[in-house]
Amino acid sequence: MFEFLLHVAIMACLYGMLALSLNLQVGFAGLINFGQIILFGAGTYGAALAFANGFGPVAGLALGVAFSTAIAVAFAQLGRNLGADYWGIATLAVAEVLRILITNEVDLTGGAQGIAGIPLIFGDWPRPVGPLMTLGLCLVILLAAWWFCRRLTESRFGLALKLIREEPMLALSLGYDLNAARTATLVVAGAMAALSGFVFAHYVTFVGPDQLVAAETFLIWAMVIIGGSGNHLGAIVGAILMQFLFAFVPFVKDAFGAPAEYVAAMRLTLVGGGLLVFLMWRTQGLIPERIGDARPAPATGRPAAARMVEKHNG
Amino acid sequence: MAEMAAETVLQGTGIAKAFGAHQVLSDVRFRVADGEIVGLLGPNGSGKSTLLNIVSGFSRADAGEIRFRGNALSGLAAHDIARRGLVRTFQLPSMPTRMSVRQVLAAGSREGAGLVEAFLRRPADDPEVETLLDQFALSAVAHQPASSLSGGQKKLLSIALALRTRPSLLCLDEPTAGVHPQLRSRMVELLRAFNARGVAMLVVEHDMHFIRELCSRCIVLDRGEIIADCPPAQLAENERVVEAYLGKSVERPKVLS
Repeated sequence: MFEFLLHVAIMACLYGMLALSLNLQVGFAGLINFGQIILFGAGTYGAALAFANGFGPVAGLALGVAFSTAIAVAFAQLGRNLGADYWGIATLAVAEVLRILITNEVDLTGGAQGIAGIPLIFGDWPRPVGPLMTLGLCLVILLAAWWFCRRLTESRFGLALKLIREEPMLALSLGYDLNAARTATLVVAGAMAALSGFVFAHYVTFVGPDQLVAAETFLIWAMVIIGGSGNHLGAIVGAILMQFLFAFVPFVKDAFGAPAEYVAAMRLTLVGGGLLVFLMWRTQGLIPERIGDARPAPATGRPAAARMVEKHNG
Repeated sequence: MAEMAAETVLQGTGIAKAFGAHQVLSDVRFRVADGEIVGLLGPNGSGKSTLLNIVSGFSRADAGEIRFRGNALSGLAAHDIARRGLVRTFQLPSMPTRMSVRQVLAAGSREGAGLVEAFLRRPADDPEVETLLDQFALSAVAHQPASSLSGGQKKLLSIALALRTRPSLLCLDEPTAGVHPQLRSRMVELLRAFNARGVAMLVVEHDMHFIRELCSRCIVLDRGEIIADCPPAQLAENERVVEAYLGKSVERPKVLS
């Protein structure tokens, strides 16, 4: 049980990184990215390909960040001529295309079989110590990412991002290069997601395309929306909450004597149901974005995603 | 000739724009000199806002050339034009819902707004923000979400924002529409004060009183053509202007049989 909880805590930290990364894009820059999971995949495959070709973990991390940067720049270029909501669909399409490419490039990526045997972090240590140290490392990375995000969004750059998110035409008229700011945000957020993927690959020791399905993106979205879009702590809380709820599901299944396939269905229901409930009744999430001089957002505050769509519809 | 060019802030020649079959601007030629406040008048649909959009890079002209301080602007992105000191406001300014008035005004200056700079120094309080809040009578609402301001206050905030970028030419799109008369005279004072500090202005406006108080010269557009270019006092004597605003005395066309 202790090792199981350790595992859930480590995964919560890795998802926390992904949620922070998505929150930076959605909550602060208004970038409706539905392809988030492929930025994570850049990190997992960076680690796996470096390992498969006989390079060390440093090369793996560098390769992962190089992949995520390339994808982030490609995403940003897509956005030049697309409205925010159409851009979101385009990112989803790019992520799916890349996943299918990975599945079929068997020689390079191992195809659907993936790449196994990636060295475990702290693998030389005895059993509860190794995972405990892994959790420690993940916590340190998560806290560093949190500090990084806070520093970024509390700066003048963060203020500019908010202006671009809410009134792009106004920002443009004041001399802000929207595309440059969006590209910078995507590259930084992409590197954070890739770092999460890199650690994940060295923790579960296996990398495959099934880890990169679109449903994973929407799980991260649920974490951000439920936790509070535009609030870093909210994103982390959302990630931890969802991970521990997911871990709780098998016990609920056992208590009701339900068949094993109910576990996946219940998790999916949690994601979809959670998204719906919060989008309808508490759009600002559990921990709302702060506006102005540290005052909570008004109850009418709607997340960037909802407002973008409304704005587009007139 | 070189001296002439140095005095000219903005010069447009042969500007044309059509939306489908509808010719909005044809062969428009105008000039704004250093230190001038020029009014841009004309009935609704005469092409004023289109011209402002073209000048500020938010729309592309089909033909013609715009020079800002001697340099051609054609092909430049809107943010590049703004960075060169030609800044515009919008007819219906829309303001952020999740930023306070003070935050919006702080974001008006791009100084220190780079990604790397976020980690080099802490954002410091800018005294210029407080000065502008005070000048534009927005201090009392500085902590409110910018979207909660009244229409008139949003206009004031958008002008303050544009001035925050330290433009050398300010293009205002109907600055007084929806603004309380008391604030209107305050706006005239403020714009004059900034003009005295070297900001030239091009002002689209319907309020003739405001125009007479503020502008040294007026350009009048009608159906995409310039029909007058004179001091505001002479507008009433200009036949074409009176015609454009009030209409011609109607003569029934003679129809054959």
